[in-house]
Amino acid sequence: MRFKHAKVIKDGLWLNNPIFVQVLGICSTLAVTNNLRNTLIMTLGVTFATAFSSWTLSLMKDLIPRKVRLIAQVLAISFYVIIIDIVLRAYQPEVSKQLGPYVGLIITNCILQGRAEAFAAANRPWPSFIDGLMNGLGYMAVLMCIAFVRELLGFGSLFGIDVLGPRFVPWTIMIMAPSAFFLVALAMWGAKAILAHGAAARR
Amino acid sequence: MRLEKDKPLYVVIFTFVVSASFVLLLALANEATKDRVAANRLFAEHSAVLRVFGIPYKDAVEVEELYLARIATLPPEEKGAAPAYAATVDGTAYIAVVQAGPGLWGTITAIVSSDAAVARLRGLEILSQNETPGLGGRVDEAWFKAQFKGELVGTLGVTVNPAGPGDADHENARVDAITGASRTSQGIQAILDASLGRLRKIGGGRR
Repeated sequence: MRFKHAKVIKDGLWLNNPIFVQVLGICSTLAVTNNLRNTLIMTLGVTFATAFSSWTLSLMKDLIPRKVRLIAQVLAISFYVIIIDIVLRAYQPEVSKQLGPYVGLIITNCILQGRAEAFAAANRPWPSFIDGLMNGLGYMAVLMCIAFVRELLGFGSLFGIDVLGPRFVPWTIMIMAPSAFFLVALAMWGAKAILAHGAAARR
Repeated sequence: MRLEKDKPLYVVIFTFVVSASFVLLLALANEATKDRVAANRLFAEHSAVLRVFGIPYKDAVEVEELYLARIATLPPEEKGAAPAYAATVDGTAYIAVVQAGPGLWGTITAIVSSDAAVARLRGLEILSQNETPGLGGRVDEAWFKAQFKGELVGTLGVTVNPAGPGDADHENARVDAITGASRTSQGIQAILDASLGRLRKIGGGRR
């Protein structure tokens, strides 16, 4: 059992990483990664919603008719995303104001439905929860690395704190969505090269 | 007993029960937090009105005290007009209007204030916006809003300038737009133009 969970953890974080391998959640990668603070909050939201929606859908899987399984998945995912929105509006109004529509857009993040369909529909609740959590954390790790580069070069700051000083000339392209395209591509290239190297070494 | 999950009646009942359960839980969560959300909204509005007039405050309690003591709500200059306010700061009378306009993704709502003659802006605050975080969303950052404090209002109003070097001059009726957020900057320009028109009507300044 422990081995099985270890595999789920390793898959979500690295071997089947949602960005590098599944190529899911790319839209939000382009949209929010020019700012570490927004990226952290958005990815925490995705991690929470993926873990709990996978857990809930796994609990319900024996009762869900095939014809309406997508509706059930969207309902469970929307429920947790709206909970995040309510909590942010009540307890973090400034963050809620800054993120605007991006919290609601977690509903459309392909990772959530991808994990519900690929894992939670055929596995028990606890492994499904871990799978959702690890996929969320794998997504968070990649997005935070990209946001680190984009905010540092685009604004000269990290989490809004100026680190490169007033003489630094910001790279405007890093603030704009196209920069995320080539940073994601570079990150995928590096990760795939490491994965391929590891696979070749094992052979 | 084996469930016949593909029978239409089961599908309908299942969908109804699951939807009703989730909606009920959301309604409960909404009910539990609605007072807090309403208080947050009120604080956001009142504190923005104080900031746009340049009235400093320490905390939420002081915001309410100062708002009640120092802010006057003006009668609408025409039917259906958004709220307008007046306040006196350091012996000078200022007026402010709430003005909404289209941004890139949704409506931007701002408060713009000036002196009574509408010769110089007092400030600009953003009440709500749905612009791209990190791009158009930067209209709510301190550096962007600080540009409007004390900016001269020219005969053509104030221009949100999309090109050229950074502008720190408060005497040229010009502020910087946001690079990479042209549509949002155009939205701010439209809000500014509409606000100045209303402020002139209320203040009786130049037309």
